[in-house]
Amino acid sequence: MLSKRAGLWLGLIATLGLLSLGSSCSKTAENTNEGSTSEKVKYTKGDVGTISGTISFTGAAPENPKIDTSADAQCASKSPNLTAETWVVKDGKVANTFVYIKEGTVDGKKLDDYDWDKPSSAATLDQNGCHYKPHVMGVMARQEINITNSDPTTHNIHFLQGKNPDWNQSQPNGAAPLKHQLNTPEQMAQVKCNQHPWMKAFVGVMKHPFFAVSAEDGTYKITGVPPGKYTVIAWHEGATGPGTEKPMEVTVPANGSATADFSFGASAGLQGQPSSLPLIAVEFPMLGKH
Amino acid sequence: MSKGVHRFALLVAVATFFLIIAGANVTSHDAGLAVPDWPLSFGKFFPQMVGNVFWEHGHRMIAATVGLLTIVLAIYLQIREPRRWVKRLGWIALGLVIVQGLLGGLTVKLLLPLWVSAAHATLAQLFFLTTVSMAVFTSRSWTITEPKIFETDNGVSPRTLCVASLALILVQLVLGATLRHSATWNQLLPTGLLVAHITGAIVVTLALGVTASTVLLRHRDDRFLTRPAIVALSLLFVQLMLGIAAYITRAASPYQPQPLNPMIAVTVAHVACGALVFAATILLTLRVFRVLRVEKRTVGVLATA
Repeated sequence: MLSKRAGLWLGLIATLGLLSLGSSCSKTAENTNEGSTSEKVKYTKGDVGTISGTISFTGAAPENPKIDTSADAQCASKSPNLTAETWVVKDGKVANTFVYIKEGTVDGKKLDDYDWDKPSSAATLDQNGCHYKPHVMGVMARQEINITNSDPTTHNIHFLQGKNPDWNQSQPNGAAPLKHQLNTPEQMAQVKCNQHPWMKAFVGVMKHPFFAVSAEDGTYKITGVPPGKYTVIAWHEGATGPGTEKPMEVTVPANGSATADFSFGASAGLQGQPSSLPLIAVEFPMLGKH
Repeated sequence: MSKGVHRFALLVAVATFFLIIAGANVTSHDAGLAVPDWPLSFGKFFPQMVGNVFWEHGHRMIAATVGLLTIVLAIYLQIREPRRWVKRLGWIALGLVIVQGLLGGLTVKLLLPLWVSAAHATLAQLFFLTTVSMAVFTSRSWTITEPKIFETDNGVSPRTLCVASLALILVQLVLGATLRHSATWNQLLPTGLLVAHITGAIVVTLALGVTASTVLLRHRDDRFLTRPAIVALSLLFVQLMLGIAAYITRAASPYQPQPLNPMIAVTVAHVACGALVFAATILLTLRVFRVLRVEKRTVGVLATA
């Protein structure tokens, strides 16, 4: 039998062991890669076309709530009138919608079975005015993401665990850009700042380059698409969520273009596990915000 | 018996209560990973306290203070406390606070896995139990009181009821901690855990209600027992009200752009009041064990009489 003191020491040693194991686990998870591109071929024909369209909003656009940035004086000074970016709607057209080809066939082969070149330049995610610019973006798997901090305060950029591992780094004001890449395709990876909990962004991670984000006028354009029949998805974050997806079947002719217009309403799913209990939304405006 | 030891033990218990409030604020503000390194914060002992860093680093500072206080208490007990088992309790408290600190580090290093966060929150309550017990054991009222109430073993003993209530409250605290850490402010709470926590509230209400009522009915003239029973019942009522308010504000939270003050205040108060219900029940249980003696009733003797 172990004495009580020995048991206590064993407990401490076990906890320390877990601590070191945790550190090593988080490092190895970052090195995870998915699949290999060695057996894939490139699409070299010059008969590519485009998919374009407009994202519309059905009904009256909800007002984005104002964000209280007073917890950080630098944020309050730089962005005194910051609002949530859930619905960026202008003249009935919706920005920040991620449109991508989910699946399709090109010359009898699946789109994902081709080897698509990654963009030569890194994508940029900037922290500016205590919010992310852009709010929604797309990258190819393993494409480098350049994370910059244009604010006079410290942020921590936190890619939440989804199909890609958790990644949480601090970035003080004036620090060099951070480099990150997401190795596994994921729609959509979520980014947040734990120091400023209102800050969030979404990143679509794709195997191929056929994606776009709608602009302020609601338009988007996906270029370089080989002729074929595709399922195109328009994703929007919705009220709180991992978002709502709208699918559409699209045929792209050789050297031609196809149009895919989508529309969204105010209703959207919630992130996390759904609760079947009744939800009571109560606001306490007299008590103010954090 | 040293009055100084008791006062210091009380200080540690009160400081632990504030530490629980600070920890609850970290969770409600979603500040758990605002400082990505540990044990230092951004490589410093004292970083700039902006945004959620205030809550996360503030929690670390209070935790470090409680750790230091526990070290001093453990040494103080070795010097001034005559009872060996109380001295040993000082070392147990120190061991618990060290493990608790390491678990806090693990939450940061492992990026808040649910099991570590829930274990951290649960151990916080167990450490609180230890510090409250030490404050009770070193108090004058504990040392001067002798066993004076003798009950026959017909019916359920208040001792059994108190232990059952205490265990159920602990289970309820674990459920609450797991529920809080299973979803951030912008996510819906998982239905299964939510139902379990609500069911737990009903069970605890019944158990503590029966326990306190039994004590109040059987020993209504003994303030040593009735005081903690009344306090526990009153706190339980407040806790139930706070629980309802916490549910309402937390249910609305995912629709907000950031954690709002009403949700933060109510959920933190709910955690704090839960700890107080636990503390009052610990006090009641310890006092019941101190003064009540259960005499075995022998059937043969009664038959003869």
